[in-house]
Amino acid sequence: MKPTVITPEAVAAAERARFDAELLRRMANSDREAFAQLYDRFSRPLYATALRVLRNAAEAEDIVQDVFLALWEKADAFEPARGTAFAWAVTLTRNRAIDRFRLRQRRSELLSKTTGEDAGIRPYGSDRHSADELTLKERAGAVRAAVEALPAEQQVAVELAFFSGLTQQEIADQLSEPLGTVKARIRRGLFRLRDILGGHHD
Amino acid sequence: MIDEHHEELAALYAFGLLEGAELADFETRLAGDPALTRLVRELRESASQLSYMAPAAKPSPELRARLLARLETAAAWRAQGTAVSFRIPAWLPWAAAACLALTSAWLGQLYLGSRFEITTLRDRQALADFQLRSTRNQLEAERLIASHQVGAGTEQVAALERQLKAQGDLANFKIATLASLLGNSPEALAVAVWNPARQEGVLVVEKMPALAEGKDYQLWLVDPQYPIPVDGGVFTVNPATGEAHVAFKAGKPVKSVTKFAVSLERKGGVPKAEGPMVLLSQ
Repeated sequence: MKPTVITPEAVAAAERARFDAELLRRMANSDREAFAQLYDRFSRPLYATALRVLRNAAEAEDIVQDVFLALWEKADAFEPARGTAFAWAVTLTRNRAIDRFRLRQRRSELLSKTTGEDAGIRPYGSDRHSADELTLKERAGAVRAAVEALPAEQQVAVELAFFSGLTQQEIADQLSEPLGTVKARIRRGLFRLRDILGGHHD
Repeated sequence: MIDEHHEELAALYAFGLLEGAELADFETRLAGDPALTRLVRELRESASQLSYMAPAAKPSPELRARLLARLETAAAWRAQGTAVSFRIPAWLPWAAAACLALTSAWLGQLYLGSRFEITTLRDRQALADFQLRSTRNQLEAERLIASHQVGAGTEQVAALERQLKAQGDLANFKIATLASLLGNSPEALAVAVWNPARQEGVLVVEKMPALAEGKDYQLWLVDPQYPIPVDGGVFTVNPATGEAHVAFKAGKPVKSVTKFAVSLERKGGVPKAEGPMVLLSQ
């Protein structure tokens, strides 16, 4: 059996996950400072995800507010063995955003070329040198590199699977591909991301 | 061993794409299959990283303030215990408005009063914590030296003690021992002391193997706010004794160090760890 190599990155990823879990544990004891720290760590990627799905700044903020209130109220239900706090928060955000998207039935906007201003996107910049800013840019860079390492058809499949709010069949229709082909691309793409990103988990 | 079909279902499940009977069947299988559960957890973690692919954007500052204010108000109410009730004279609208105004002022005063009390209590707790940490750090440093884990009486340790005492503010220092991960040098050891206020520290190393040509040891600080460890600089050891006493600074602002690590890298160091880890703190 190949011995497990411990890398500083894997240690850092595990520490980040442990730190986030500790913040949730403190939130379960009504620690508002812990809540503020978790907000500062998670709010941007969660907001960016909601905004990407909904393409509306006000609705995206509603989603983020709901998610953080849910994290506060359900902090004692978090189980580290089931996954990281970040994955939990992203799941809550995605589910709420997609539910709202489907309610609105604005699927035709999937292919719209909405500008940043139209969607109310506020790019980073005012706190360019903050540690959180640096972390986000490094993280985004690592994930982007991993996604770009996938074959083009797998990139499209996983991004549609994550952001579009479409069903499996709707994705297949969107891509004009058989359902079986789309499922296989999603499987291969996600497995490859897992292999590339490895211990880079928040 | 998980077959390809279930790998596919796991990937679709991680994206929330399973529905109806397919979803129910998969969750039934998941409940009794630890390997499949582990796989789903890994795939969900990987899928969650795709949130970083969304165009960079941040919510308004008002959202943060709104959320924190909401939590603070809820906490103040809980601190008061019983609910407040009042009766509005329904037949005189102006009297009803006056009652509401008076009640709001009274509630506001209660809220502010409880906030002040909470702040005072928090300050007292912070002071007690500071005193406790200061004592613990001093005891930890003395324990390390007394137990000969770091060569007692050596000039390096005496210098470390002088530096600690000179810097003061011992309570907030981070002190950690780093244990060897080297199979052929299990006795290698280090002590790292980090002063967060000054963003600098001291590393004392003993019994480390001499470095091969073209190699350096590199120190890393693990701060959970960053996805990768922060560079603490390179160092060499005395080839005869395996000792080193290194003053270091972090490559970027560090809020909280939870671990220290040392890896073996090429001469001059690297921006991101590439080589094997040789020392790691607990």
